Amino acid sequence: MSNADTTPQRQDAQATETTTGETVETVRDEWADYDFDGEPMVAVEDVNVHYGDDHALKDVSMDIPEESVTALIGPSGCGKSTFLRCLNRMNDRITSARIDGSVAVDGEEIYQDGVDLVELRKRVGMVFQAPNPFPKSIRENISYGPRKHGDIDTSLLSRLLGRDDTEAEEALVEQCLRDAALYEEVADRLDDNALGLSGGQQQRLCIARALAVDPDVLLMDEPASALDPIATAKIEDLIEELAEDYTVVVVTHNMQQAARISDQTAVFLTGGELVEYGDTDQIFEDPESQRVEDYITGKFG
Amino acid sequence: MSTVTRNALVSTETTLREYVSTGVMALGAVLFLASWAVLFQWVGESTPVLGVAVFTLFGVLLLAMAVGIAGVGVAARLGRVSASPSASAGLVVGVLFGGIGFVTGGLVASQTLGMGAVGWLAVALAVGVAVAALAVVPREDVGSTFPPALFLAFVGALLVTGTLGLGWSWSPDGVSATFVGSVMVPVLTVAGSLVGSWSAAKARAGFGTQGREGGAFYLIRLSVFGMLGVLALLVGFIVKNGLETALTRAQFGLGGHVGLPGSILGVTLPNWSVPFVDVQVPFVTNVSQSLFVEVPGLAPAILGTLWLVVGAMLFAIPLGLAAAIFLAEYTESRLFRQLVEIATNGLWSTPSIVFGLFGLAFLVPRFGGGKSLLSGQLVLGFMLLPLVVITSYESIKAVPDEYRDASAALGVTQWQTIKSAVLPAAMPGVITGVILGVGRIAGETAPLLLVYGGPPFSSQNPSVLSSFQFTSAPPFVSNTALMDAGSALPYQLYTSITSGRLPGQGAPFSVQEFGWGTALVLLVVVLGLYAFGIAGRIYFRRKLYNE
Repeated sequence: MSNADTTPQRQDAQATETTTGETVETVRDEWADYDFDGEPMVAVEDVNVHYGDDHALKDVSMDIPEESVTALIGPSGCGKSTFLRCLNRMNDRITSARIDGSVAVDGEEIYQDGVDLVELRKRVGMVFQAPNPFPKSIRENISYGPRKHGDIDTSLLSRLLGRDDTEAEEALVEQCLRDAALYEEVADRLDDNALGLSGGQQQRLCIARALAVDPDVLLMDEPASALDPIATAKIEDLIEELAEDYTVVVVTHNMQQAARISDQTAVFLTGGELVEYGDTDQIFEDPESQRVEDYITGKFG
Repeated sequence: MSTVTRNALVSTETTLREYVSTGVMALGAVLFLASWAVLFQWVGESTPVLGVAVFTLFGVLLLAMAVGIAGVGVAARLGRVSASPSASAGLVVGVLFGGIGFVTGGLVASQTLGMGAVGWLAVALAVGVAVAALAVVPREDVGSTFPPALFLAFVGALLVTGTLGLGWSWSPDGVSATFVGSVMVPVLTVAGSLVGSWSAAKARAGFGTQGREGGAFYLIRLSVFGMLGVLALLVGFIVKNGLETALTRAQFGLGGHVGLPGSILGVTLPNWSVPFVDVQVPFVTNVSQSLFVEVPGLAPAILGTLWLVVGAMLFAIPLGLAAAIFLAEYTESRLFRQLVEIATNGLWSTPSIVFGLFGLAFLVPRFGGGKSLLSGQLVLGFMLLPLVVITSYESIKAVPDEYRDASAALGVTQWQTIKSAVLPAAMPGVITGVILGVGRIAGETAPLLLVYGGPPFSSQNPSVLSSFQFTSAPPFVSNTALMDAGSALPYQLYTSITSGRLPGQGAPFSVQEFGWGTALVLLVVVLGLYAFGIAGRIYFRRKLYNE
């Protein structure tokens, strides 16, 4: 929290005195306005999330353009992961979570009755913070989604009938691994257990696995935070390449990373507010909010 | 000045302290084993060893241990050997040795010196406090060596002087037990060797924190070996007693009979023969009673046990696994989950005879009024069920949520997730639970007495597979073997021992020998089931984790 005694106040920033004597900057709606050409891939409007009594996300609205990288940054507990999990309704899996508001993916509202979660999560894929491949072979990890969705059938029955998709599976596995920049490293051991890969390789495998169900949007929750610098660099390059075909939303703690890879950046600050959202260059060079500037320059975390 | 003491960082030389305390520990180990040998009567109490009576030898060795540890203590206190003792051995050591001193002093005062209640209590207190003070007040090198040395010297002196020996016995007033020398001496020697070795282990590591660790590790190691010893004793005893019976008229060779074990499903099995190998173990392959059988065998009981286990597993595993999946993955209600947990835990601790009674009252009348294999299978299935539920539930819960999240984020439905990601990862745990449960039910006797047990010596093998009959009228399928009473290994053991006789005349062994042979075969069958389960668990682990 910024303190009135130590933090220089900007003259134009509105400040309100709280009961505890701390001065808190009032968030202005226009800071989060961001105009771009074309239709938004993901349009979020007035989303509120409560975990029990905890108000984790407050009135967040933002439009995310397609085929770009959007970085979500902010201190721990500011709600950026919660926001990310709203976009493919993974928060539904937490029983205490209550979500209000509207999220539209490719023009279709996902918080309404009759939404097919299977279809939604096929379109909005997710990569988690810690690499979490299944304890199966590399090949099975990639084809897990398509197999379960019935897009690829390699069952014994279909193989006996000669109608199996083994070749299609082979092609898909190779394509996804290539897209995830992993194929060269694992081409000769596709049948080995995925847990034998290094952390960075595992994370790229998880990205490949998410690509295998052909999503439109790819959500990444701090995908490189558990990795060493070399693996991180590979993931960053990969994210930039993926943005040519996919809409990537990535949560990160690392501000240099956000500045390097993202087209636009959203800054969440403590309390679950989206404080500022705009072009990455503008956010990092000339933020409108004093608190965002403090955060980015490291005065406040 | 710093209060931190520093020892040499590297020391490769074995010091005098280490030589002496290692010697004492070795003496302790010898005494420990020798005392058990005497307790189990492997060595006679009156047999002279090296020309000396066993108990006198014990006394001498105890005295030698006492001198050894006291010597190390004194040498360390005087700084003659290197050590890093703490300021005190600590209150726990003080209380323990104070207790030993209290008991020893009290017994001597009241029993040997014949003091009254007031007198012996005072002496006991005085000795106890003195020993406790000796342990707590001086520096650790004295405090943790002198009290044990005192105890060892006391017991050793009693033994050497013959005060406590073969002829000694003590019948305390008000207790019906009599303590005799032939038992008390080895017991005291065991206690002495433990106490002395602990002290020596501390001294060997140079007292201080390292010494405490040395002492603790010594005790832990001893517990492990003690446990292994108990197990080995048990198995060894059964094998020793049962092997001869089990191999009665057995033949092992090459060539001989060439044929197939075609009559496994048939009624009688005169001899199994394996291609190219001549293996005949009539005790295992014969029926228990028949006109043409000279060696009463266990085939009906073995097959009965296997069918019981198979039936119970077929019943319990699907039900239990389904319940575990529901509890771990589907139900949201904590209350319901806790209720089921309490119920399953309660069911698991229910005595097996109660299950048997339930089967007798509920199942037997519904299956035609007689004891039957089917009711036995179901009752054992009921008993297996709670363990399958508990262990499967625990292992499903232990599957990391990351797998579920990853699967859900790919748009895979919950059931597919459970089937393809959660259950495979939980499989080793589920199998472990089933193994444990099967081990229990395979050895279960009490419920079988009520719902399954047939004549004491069965003349028929249960032939479940070949007894299926299909009819055009309901119920369309019937199986007489499932409806028959029969025998199982633990039941066979129970009936043969209680009936006290073997069928027919001219059996080559007594009924007790028959019982030991049955116990051995039961052990082998249960271990075989374990081996199956462990192989399954290793297979799934390999598949999962590339081990």
